Amino acid sequence: MDATILKVERPGRWDSPLDPEFSDADLDRLLQLAPFSEMNPESFSRKQPLRAILQNDSRIRRFKRGELIVRAGDYGSSAFMIVSGTVRVVLPPGLPDRVLGRRDSAKKSIFRVIAQLWGNHRNPEVRTPEELGMGNRNLVGEGTEARVFLQDVPRLLDQNKTVTIGSGEFFGEIAALSRMPRTATIFCDTDGTELLEIRWQGLRDLLKFDPALRAHIDVLYRKNTLSNALRSFPLFQHLSEDQLSRVAAQTQFGTFGDYDWSGDYKKLAQSGTNSPEKETLIAQEGDYPDGVVFVRSGFARLTKRFASGQRTLNYLGAGRSFGLKEIAHNWRNPENPRPFQFSLRVIGYTHTLFVPTQVMEEIVLPGAPKHLLPEPLTAPVDDSDAVDPLKDQGGFAERIGPELMEFLTGRRFFNGTATMVINLERCTRCDDCVRACASTHDNNPRFLRHGPVSAGIQVAQACMHCVDPVCMIGCPTGAIHRDAAGGSVVINQATCIGCTSCANNCPYEAIRMVEARDTGGAFVVDAELKPILKATKCDLCLDQYGGPACERACPHDALTRMNLTRLDHLAEWLHR
Amino acid sequence: MVAPLMQTFVQRRVIGIFLLIAAILAVAWGHARLAPVMRHIAYLTGWILLAVCLFLTAYNARKKLPFLPLGNSRTWLQIHAYVGYLSVALFFAHTGWRWPEGWFEGILAALYLAVAASGVFGLLWSRVVPRRLTAQGGEVLYERIPTVRRQLAERAEALALNSVESTQSVAIADFYNHDLAAFFVGPGDLWRHLIDVERPTDRLQNRMDDLNRFLTPDQRVVLAQIAELVRQKDGLDYQHALQLSLRLWLFVHIPLTYSLLIFTALHVVLVFGFSAGVGFH
Repeated sequence: MDATILKVERPGRWDSPLDPEFSDADLDRLLQLAPFSEMNPESFSRKQPLRAILQNDSRIRRFKRGELIVRAGDYGSSAFMIVSGTVRVVLPPGLPDRVLGRRDSAKKSIFRVIAQLWGNHRNPEVRTPEELGMGNRNLVGEGTEARVFLQDVPRLLDQNKTVTIGSGEFFGEIAALSRMPRTATIFCDTDGTELLEIRWQGLRDLLKFDPALRAHIDVLYRKNTLSNALRSFPLFQHLSEDQLSRVAAQTQFGTFGDYDWSGDYKKLAQSGTNSPEKETLIAQEGDYPDGVVFVRSGFARLTKRFASGQRTLNYLGAGRSFGLKEIAHNWRNPENPRPFQFSLRVIGYTHTLFVPTQVMEEIVLPGAPKHLLPEPLTAPVDDSDAVDPLKDQGGFAERIGPELMEFLTGRRFFNGTATMVINLERCTRCDDCVRACASTHDNNPRFLRHGPVSAGIQVAQACMHCVDPVCMIGCPTGAIHRDAAGGSVVINQATCIGCTSCANNCPYEAIRMVEARDTGGAFVVDAELKPILKATKCDLCLDQYGGPACERACPHDALTRMNLTRLDHLAEWLHR
Repeated sequence: MVAPLMQTFVQRRVIGIFLLIAAILAVAWGHARLAPVMRHIAYLTGWILLAVCLFLTAYNARKKLPFLPLGNSRTWLQIHAYVGYLSVALFFAHTGWRWPEGWFEGILAALYLAVAASGVFGLLWSRVVPRRLTAQGGEVLYERIPTVRRQLAERAEALALNSVESTQSVAIADFYNHDLAAFFVGPGDLWRHLIDVERPTDRLQNRMDDLNRFLTPDQRVVLAQIAELVRQKDGLDYQHALQLSLRLWLFVHIPLTYSLLIFTALHVVLVFGFSAGVGFH
C-alpha cells in the first residue's frame, strides 16, 4: 500500500465566502447602514470580527420587479435585510402553487391511469416538452443562480392581499434560524431593490456578539411566532391569552447543533464514528430540572447512562417535550424531588423552547388537564443502572430493541415520515416493488431496493419525505417542494434546472440526477451539447390511486412506508 | 394521533383458516346434498372449479397492473392461497374423490395437482428462505451477483499469480489452478447450498489446511487472503442459490398454471363435444 500521506490545509471558518466578489467598498457601505452602523465592533471576538462575518456570510443581491425572493413553504438557510427599494409580502392564503413554480398535486384521471398499460415510454427518463420546462417564461438564468419571476404582477396584486416593506426591515430570519418553513411568499416590488442576504452562520454569530440585534430578533420572534408555537403544544392550549403572554415572556428559545448536519452526517456515516457521547448536551441526567424543553424542530436523542456509555431510549422530534415528568412529579411531591432521569442530546440540529420550572409550576401545571400530566415517577434514580432503561418510554424502545434503536438514531432515519422499511425475514427479493414503481413512473424506478440493514430490517434508498427536508434548502427555483395536499416532498420536473443541489444535500442518497431524453429517445442537450439533468426521486405515487405502488405491490407484507418520527407504529409493525 | 391497531399475522392466519374450514365444509355439505338429486353435479363443480382457477390466475394479472386500484398484493396473495386450498376440495369433489380414468383427464389432474403442490411449496419456501438469507448476511442484489463473482475471481487469480514472484514458488498458483479456479468461476454447488447440510467449501478448506502445513510464512499470508476470498465466494454462492430458488419456483408454478388452463379449455370442449362422457362423469 502506498504510504504517502496527503497533506492539505486545514479547512477554516472563512474558506467559503457566500460571495467571493464581495468588495471592501460594498462592505464599507453596509457598515454605514443600521443596524450594522450601531453595532460595536469591540464587542465581537478577535477571531470573528464584525467585518469578517459580514464579508464572509453575506452578499448584496439586486432584484427586479416581480422577481420571487422567498416562497411560502420553502426551507431556507438565509435571512434578508432590505438595503434599498421595497418588497411585497403576500398575506394568506397566498399564491397558488402553479404561480410559485410547483407542480399540481391532482391525481391522474382514471383513463390516464389505465393508459399506463400501453403509454409508458420504452426509453428511460423521457420528458415531455412541458416537463422540460420549454416555454417557461418565469425562469431566467441557470444553476443555483436561476431566478423566477411572477407573471402579470398587477393582476396578482388585485387578487391577493400584500404588505409592502422597505429599507432596514429584516425578513426570513426565523425560518433561517429555526429551520422552519417560510411562512410567506415575498417578491420584489420595485426594480433594482437591493437585499442583503445573510446566511444562517453569519446571523448566528451576529446574534452572539450584538445584544441589540439579538434583542431585536427576540422581539420579532416573540411577537410573530412564539405564542403560536406554544399553542401548538397541548399543554399550553388551556391557558388564557394573558397566561400565555406571561409564559411567552419567560420562555427562552435555543438552537443547538449544526444547521448543516447533513454534510457532517455523511462523513460520520462513512467513518462509522457516531456516538451519543460526542453530541451536544441540552439537559443532563442527574441535574436539577430547571425547566421543560419543548422540541420545536429538528431532533434530540433521549439517553440514559448504561454501564460506561449512553444508551439511546428514544428520539424526540417536533412537538415532544423533555423534563415534564420530573417537574410534574416535583410539583406534586415537593418532599421527594427528582433530578432529570435522562439526558437530552442534539442530533444534528435542534430548535427548542425552554419554559422554566417556576413558570411551569405557577402558570401551566395548576390548570393543566389531568390526562396531560404524566404519572408520578416511581423508580428511584439511583437504581437506574440496575434497571434496563429500554423498559421505559412506553415499552417502544424495549420492543424495538437496542440494536435497531441505535441504528435508526445513528443513521437519522427518524427524519422520515414515509420511510421505506423492509422486513428482510419476509422479503423474498422478488422485486415486485421495484417493478410496480417503474410501471407507475413511466418505466423508471424511483428507488433502490438496497440500503443499510439492522436486526433484519432494511431501510431502502427511497425518499423518506423528511420532517426536516434538507434537500429543499438551496433549491433555486422551488422545484422541490412540499405537496400542498399531503406534505410529501415532490419535484416539479418543469422547473427543475438540474443544479444537483437537492441530490447533494440529501443525506440519505435518495435523490438521483438523470439525463433527460425526448419522446423519441434522444438525449436532450443544451446549446453547448451538455445533457439536461433532472432530479428524480420517490413521489409516493401522489398522482396514482391507492397509495404508494411499492407498498401495494409487496405480496408478503414485507415492505411498508412508515412514519419513523414516532416509534409506536414501528414497534407494532415489528411485532405483528 | 394513535395509529389504528394492526392485524397480527396470527390473527390473520386464524381468520383465514376459519374461513377456509367453513368453505370446505360448505363444499362438502353442498356436494353431499346435491349429489343424490343432481345427475350431472360434475358440471356444476367443474364450472365452479374453472371459475376458481381463473380467479387464482387473475392474481398474476393484478401483479402486472400495479397502477390500477385493484387492492393490495398482500391481500391478493392471502386470498390466492386460501382459495387455492379450497380449490383442492373442489377438485376432489369434481373428480368424485378418485383418480380420473383416461390419459387426457389423468394429465389434467396431474397438472392441477402439480400447480397446487408448486403453489404450496412456493408459499412455504417464501417463508423459509428469506430468514436464511437474512441470517447469512452479506446480501448482494441478485443482478449484481455475476459482477461480484467476477471481481472475487479476479482478485483470487491475481493473488495466486503474484505469489509466484513474491514468494518465489508456484505452490499457491498450482493449488489455485488445480483446486480453486473452477470454484471461483462458477456459481457453486446449488443443491448443497439449498439443502444446507454440508458447505461446499468444507473440502476446499481441508485442502487449504493441508497445504498450509507445507508453506513458508509469506506463502501462508497469501493463502490466508485467498481463503478469505473463498469464504466470500461461498457466501455469494449461498445468496445466489437461495435467491435463484425464490425466482425459479414461479417459473414452474406459472407455466404449469397456463398449461392447466389450456388443458382445462380442451377438457370443456371434449366434455361438451362428447356429452356421453368418459372418465369422471
